[in-house]
Amino acid sequence: MSEHRRARRVAAGVLVALVLTLVTGCAPSGAPGANPTIPRTASGRPNLQGIWQARNAAAADLLDHAARHEMRAGRSVVEGDEIPYQPWAAARKLENAASRATADPLAKCYMPGVPRIMYMPYPFHLFQTDDHVGITFEWSQVFRLIYTNGSKPHDGIEFWMGDSRGRWEGDTLVVDVTNHNDKTWFDMAGNFHSEALHLVERFTMTDANTIQYELTVEDPKVFTRPWKMTMPLHRETDSDRVLEYQCNAEAEEARGDFERDPRTWYPGPAGTAAQPAAVAGEDVPSAPAPARTAAQPKGPIRRLADGKPDLSGHYQPDGGGANYGLETHPPDFLTPGGRGVIVDPADGQLPMLPWAETEQKNRMLPERGYDDPTAHCFVAGVPRSMYTPSPLHILQPPGYVVVLHERMAWRVIPLDGRPHLPDTIRLWQGDSVGRWEGDTLVIETRNLNGKTWLNEVGEIVSHAETVVERLTPLDADTLHYEATVTDPLVYSRPWTIALPMNRQADDLLEVACHEDNQDLQHLKDVRDEVRRRTRR
Amino acid sequence: MRRHAWVAAVAVMMTLAAGSAAAHHSFSAEYDDKKPLKVTGTVTTMKWSNPHAWIYVDVKDKRGKVVNWAFETGGANALYRRGWRKQDLVPGTVVTIDAFQARNGTPTANAQSILMPDGKRLFAGSSSPTGGTGAK
Repeated sequence: MSEHRRARRVAAGVLVALVLTLVTGCAPSGAPGANPTIPRTASGRPNLQGIWQARNAAAADLLDHAARHEMRAGRSVVEGDEIPYQPWAAARKLENAASRATADPLAKCYMPGVPRIMYMPYPFHLFQTDDHVGITFEWSQVFRLIYTNGSKPHDGIEFWMGDSRGRWEGDTLVVDVTNHNDKTWFDMAGNFHSEALHLVERFTMTDANTIQYELTVEDPKVFTRPWKMTMPLHRETDSDRVLEYQCNAEAEEARGDFERDPRTWYPGPAGTAAQPAAVAGEDVPSAPAPARTAAQPKGPIRRLADGKPDLSGHYQPDGGGANYGLETHPPDFLTPGGRGVIVDPADGQLPMLPWAETEQKNRMLPERGYDDPTAHCFVAGVPRSMYTPSPLHILQPPGYVVVLHERMAWRVIPLDGRPHLPDTIRLWQGDSVGRWEGDTLVIETRNLNGKTWLNEVGEIVSHAETVVERLTPLDADTLHYEATVTDPLVYSRPWTIALPMNRQADDLLEVACHEDNQDLQHLKDVRDEVRRRTRR
Repeated sequence: MRRHAWVAAVAVMMTLAAGSAAAHHSFSAEYDDKKPLKVTGTVTTMKWSNPHAWIYVDVKDKRGKVVNWAFETGGANALYRRGWRKQDLVPGTVVTIDAFQARNGTPTANAQSILMPDGKRLFAGSSSPTGGTGAK
């Protein structure tokens, strides 16, 4: 579509809104008597988008409480300061509290569930479109995808984070959360529920920087009656990004269960003692590489009201076996073959430096399977998270493209041209900034930590990695995905992969990985046995 | 033996093996292609979890001692998308399983095919929910 036609379409949209306003006598700023101090979306709903955080001690204990070890004191958020447990459950709550150091699911970095994630001392970024609300949490890349499109919850499956379906009642977002498991707690004090938990959350903006968060808790297996909690959520105004706290990765690194690789991990700010000579002084090229393939539209594409391509929806990347090797490869024992996704260099081979070829072969030994970060259920990084054989959901609220990965990871891509984070802040998923070039979304990612692998066969990236990704709609249901990786510590030149992503009518489920990961111990046994043998 | 493994691996890809939907780790590092296993036993429980579900089966060894084996299958999400529900595999069901044993020597294996007494294949028989040639 030409710029001119796009502008005409936008103008037509504005006209329709004006006519609607005249006909209904109701401006898209809410019902008569609606709070005039709160921001609103183009469709007139309260605009909840932004970074929020509770500032209370509910994560320690929902009720009035004095301080205990690593638990700050605080006032009750529960109506009447009483949780109406059945007698057996009251006893169980006391047991939980007594053994919380080991029994608290959060002590093992298990997903906190809803509502606990909403009042933990970590910020979250809420994104809002007409049919979805997405919440990306700093804590362990957990997210919530709240459907506000009238759809129904799933039947016969449980999730750590529940199944959230929302609707608007006037200016209040009301969310039913069902399909919980019975493994999460409400707080560190051992307040708990069963899988029969049903939550009704109410989000009401009281001013531009405050959401009143109200929650009704029902669980006939544990409580004698429904009960309520209430708290304000405050807008985070001194930060434009939510960063990462990867609970399990930090814990494993601290315990020595996930070991530093000095060849790839970020060594710390230049000049510190941690900097190994081999990786000192690398020069990260800053100029984005040009597109390597020409993505030609095959049919009409979806567009937003502003004329930009509408990328939103549920997608299955067709990774072509990239998670088991980016180059063309035959199937091997329990490992699928791959069609090869490298489009540059033309020979389809990764231009690995000699050390990297040796290391990659070494990573394929059984005793190195333990070292793949995704075997630990750590997030996959960029670009791997885009081609793991697992669905993703793209949200496209104003100013952002947000990617939610079924394997519990997210990428938030701001489109406002903001500068990248300082070089010293390194993240598993990196720091992404996007912009439109015609109908192509161009994403530049840096600040990567060098801890990720590109796939199960150990293809390598380091902290010097920068990535330029391009997402181009080819028709209403197909995206062309392309990623150019520049990593002078590992490769003699930049290289590019390309693959399609297919839009599907499906919901994201939830892959809880670390919570039930039994494979890691098996892989560790294999590694430890080899270490024992070679030490002898 | 190597050829046996190869044939099994191909069969897996063609029939959509139970054990390998959407891996998050290297199967070849965890399981041994030189230790294929075929057993018949009684299901004791099923752990309906991600990234893999696990079926526990009592199997009699050569000396008649009962060992509870853990068989890895596709994750709960993949099973759910194929129409399976938690209650569909009843404890007490007798199943015959083709699998590859874990390298760590414990009674653990990656299930390639799970046959019910009536010859129906458990969890298999539809195209991959994860799509793409590389879904495993």
